[in-house]
Parts: sequence; C-alpha cells; structure tokens
Amino acid sequence: MSDIFDIVIIGAGPAGMSAALEAAQQGASVAVLDRKATPGGQIYRDVTQSPLLDPSVLGSEYTEGAELVEAFMEADIDRHQNADVWHIGETGEVLYSQDNQTRRLVARELIISPGAMERPFPIEGWHLPGVMTAGSAQVMLKSDGMVKDGAIFAGTGPLLYLIVAQYLRLGVTVNAVVDTTPAGGVVRAMQYIGGALRKPAYLIKGLMLLNEIHRAGVPIFRHASNLSVLGESKSVGLQFEQDGRTHSVNADHIFLHQGVIPNLNMTRALGIEHHWAEQQLCWTPTLDDWGQSSIPHIAVVGDAAGIQGAEAARHAGRLAALKAMNKLGKLSEASLQQQSSDHLRAMKSFKAFRSFLDAYYAPTPEHRIPAASNTLACRCEEQTMGQLRAGFEQGAKDPNALKALTRCGMGPCQGRQCGHTVSELLAVWQNKPVSDIGYYRLRSPQRLLSVDELSQFQNIKPAKKPAEVSA
Amino acid sequence: MFRSLRKPETQSVSININGQMVQVAEGSSLWAAMALHGETQTRLALVSGQQRSAYCAMGVCFECLVEVNGVPNQQACLTTVEEGMHVCSQDLTEQSIAALHQKESADHE
Repeated sequence: MSDIFDIVIIGAGPAGMSAALEAAQQGASVAVLDRKATPGGQIYRDVTQSPLLDPSVLGSEYTEGAELVEAFMEADIDRHQNADVWHIGETGEVLYSQDNQTRRLVARELIISPGAMERPFPIEGWHLPGVMTAGSAQVMLKSDGMVKDGAIFAGTGPLLYLIVAQYLRLGVTVNAVVDTTPAGGVVRAMQYIGGALRKPAYLIKGLMLLNEIHRAGVPIFRHASNLSVLGESKSVGLQFEQDGRTHSVNADHIFLHQGVIPNLNMTRALGIEHHWAEQQLCWTPTLDDWGQSSIPHIAVVGDAAGIQGAEAARHAGRLAALKAMNKLGKLSEASLQQQSSDHLRAMKSFKAFRSFLDAYYAPTPEHRIPAASNTLACRCEEQTMGQLRAGFEQGAKDPNALKALTRCGMGPCQGRQCGHTVSELLAVWQNKPVSDIGYYRLRSPQRLLSVDELSQFQNIKPAKKPAEVSA
Repeated sequence: MFRSLRKPETQSVSININGQMVQVAEGSSLWAAMALHGETQTRLALVSGQQRSAYCAMGVCFECLVEVNGVPNQQACLTTVEEGMHVCSQDLTEQSIAALHQKESADHE
C-alpha cells in the first residue's frame, strides 16, 4: 500500500468527514487522520456509541450526526484514529503519532480541520481545581456519561444554555446560571436580524432552551459582570456584580464559557496567513470561499476556518474537496462551479446567521483582557497580567518578544490558553489594533513527544515533492 | 463528586489510580475514570507547585497531565483506559526537575 494520497484530511469532525466523503465519491484516494479514538469531532463525539441510555436528551443537533459518522465509516476512505498530527512539511508530508510511534503519509492536497476550542476565560481563579469549561461538561457527558451536580455555569453563548438544558433533562442539579451577556446585546444584534431570520428553526430552538432553564427554576443572574472565582487552593464559589451589587454564589465546581475560537496551532505552525476577525474577536486563517489558504496545496475547513458551526462545516468540507479535485485535474472548472453553487449559497446564509450570534453573544472585554494584575494570563508558566505588563514595560512590544522575556506561551499548551489574551493585552497597552500586534510564532512538533518516540525518527526521510512522485 | 450516567451493561476493566485498584468502564477516558473515583488532582503547577486539575477535557489546556505506566506528561482526557494501567497524579515541578538533574549529574561524577 502506498503512503501517498490524492487528498489527506486532518480531523474527522463534520467538516473533515464531509470533505472525505465528497473526495471519495469523486474517485480520489483519501486518508483521514483523527486524534480521537472515534470519528465525529467534538460536536458528534461518540454519537454512534453513546454511553447514555437515551442520547436523544442531548438534542437533535447531536443525534443527527450519527448518519454522517456511519456514512464516513462505510466509505472507501483510509481512516486512522488516535492519529495525532505533529508536523506538516512543505511538500505535503504529514507526520503523526499513533501508539507511541511516529508514522508518515504524503498528501498531494491537504484539507485540515482541527476544529475549535473554547475561548480562554482569564479571570481571577480560573486556574483553580474545580473550574472547567462548559465544553468540558459536554465532552464528559457525551463520551463518559459523566456529570457534576450543583455546579455554576457562567458566561455567555448558545453552548452554555445547551449544556444547562441537557443537565436539567438528565436530572442533574444546577446551582446557578451567571449570564454575562451584556444588556446591550440585543440592540447590537438587531442590525443582523435579517441573518437571524434566515434560520428561524435555530432561533426558536434557542428561545426554547432559555425557556426550559427558566421553567426548571434554576437561579439565573443576567447581565453579570466582573466575574472572579473564589478559593485559595480550589474553587469554592463565584463572585460577580449585577446591577451595581456584588454577589457571591457558593459552588465547588464552575463551568465557564464565552464562545469558541479556531484551534489555530496547526494553521499557525504551517505559516498560513491569518487575520484578526473583528466580528468574532479571534485570529482566523485567511481563506477563499473554498477554504483555500495562502499555501497552494492546503485548505482549511470547519470551525478552524472561522466559527460557523457544524452544519456550515459540512458544506465547507464538500467545497474544499471539490476544489482539491479541481486542482488535481480530476474535476473540470465548469463542474467545480456547478457542483459548488448550492454549498456556496448555504455558506452565505450560515454566515449571515452567525453575524447575529456573534453580535449578541460578543464576549465582554473585561473577561477577555484581564485588568487585575494578579490574574493568570498564561496558565502553564503561571504568568500573571502584572508580570506580562512588567515585560511590556521592559520593551517587549509583540507576542514573541513577550514570550522570550516572560516565558508566557512556552508551556505544554503552546500558547493555546494565552495567545489571544496576550495579543489583546499588547494591543490595549499600545492603543493599536490587534491586527498590528500579531500572534506567537508557532512551530512543530504540535504535541508533546517522548524522547523514545523521537529516537525512531532517524528512519524517516524527508518526502519528495508530490509533483515528483507518480501515482 | 462527579457521577456516572453510563448504561449499566458496560464492561469494566481494572486500573491502578494512585496506588488503588479500581474498576472503571471499558472505553472510559482516563480523566473520567480518575474523576469518578474522586482523584481529580492531575498535575502540579510547574512554578508554584499548586494543585491543578483538568480544565478543557478535550486536549487543548494540558492541565490534565498525569503519569501513565511510568511515563509522565500524558493527557488524561485523551487517554483511553486499558486493563492493568498504572496511573499517578504527577508531581513534577521546576524545582523537582532541577533537583533530579542535580542528583543525576552528582551520580555521574
């Protein structure tokens, strides 16, 4: 079996699986590398093997993923699970870890869909044991059927309400919902109401979720601000302000959430061009409508390409696969245009809808850009905002200089939890747009590798350029 | 305490968490197995030595690093349990690593 493929796809979420299905249908040789034990990404995590007796309590957006996962499992695709990609070479060479060994594939065209991660929530005490993300509550529920009674859910965004509703349906107690969506959210979002009305089913579902939480009698604190976690060595509660008054609610567990952002370590390490997306307040790869990046043989799809959600990701995956087939000379320009049109139209309407959500649930500056000097910005190297400020005053004006001086972003998470905070802090301190500040320079390997594994590396030779290799 | 809503018919495997043999559901993530047995401490903070626990449960925060079968820095949330697995909360800090290096070079001389 050859290790050279027409199309290699990284990540088996809705975007990656859809790209693989389209490419296989079009007759390409396709390999998919996915870090998890089963395909589905975060959204359709374990949807075909739920640990729950009745997975329908998780909602139809989840259960309808089963069909896609099943189609993916049946198609003529080279599937590799537990395959954690740690390097992508300029020639299409992909190195990944599997069973503590590094393996290799070569791609003529690469479609990468590393997905999203939750936006960091750098408030006082967010590093304490007992503080997790709302996304983690979903992960634990979907994969392990594991829940936590009596927790506080705090922050903003549809995912926060969804997990609370899921918990309530399962009889899990919720101590409080502390909602940081500002009072002006509705007004800000109204200019995008046209986009929202293009997806009435989503709007209705959203309202029903809120109603469900209300009816259950969970205390909801609206328009909360200035969140901080109480506790010395572990979380004991959450303090916040509402209507000018300070409140505190006791809980040994707090789930935080303020939206999701592209998981950009792979696209950054590749040197793909990025820009600061003002609407979504995050760094985003710069791409065309087919997901084509600034590197000729690489496309980026799914939420890693900018947050659009699972349904849009399916269309994006198909578009990137069609474009890859066209670049490989296996699909004419006319067929590309014709087969792309429905997907392009769908993407446009999802984008309009997303504008509404982005405006409504925009995370407030105080929870993105820490103002208290003792708040940790970098969790791994334990660098507080005050220490970063001191580094800035010593002359570190950009993220890489600050990293060199303070070690922020040098820990095992490779900047995932502090990168956006550092970009925004430096922008505020210099009164410059974030786009002028930039982001950490990232490099391979993109995961922790043991010396044992690296020592086998002598057997691996650089790949030839795909153009020099015959099929 | 975390609790499990897993279907009752699930098969189990036995693993050792911090010196104690426990039964956990086959296919569990190591983090879930630990949390369901009250072992929520994963690593220590490298500089301050403070206790840490899992934050994201999906592989992006690296707070859940633990020692699996003697190998440190394994992400518990991305590891699936296996029969006979030996897991320890890890106590590596900058101080302990420096002490280890010092001892190694002293032993060498």
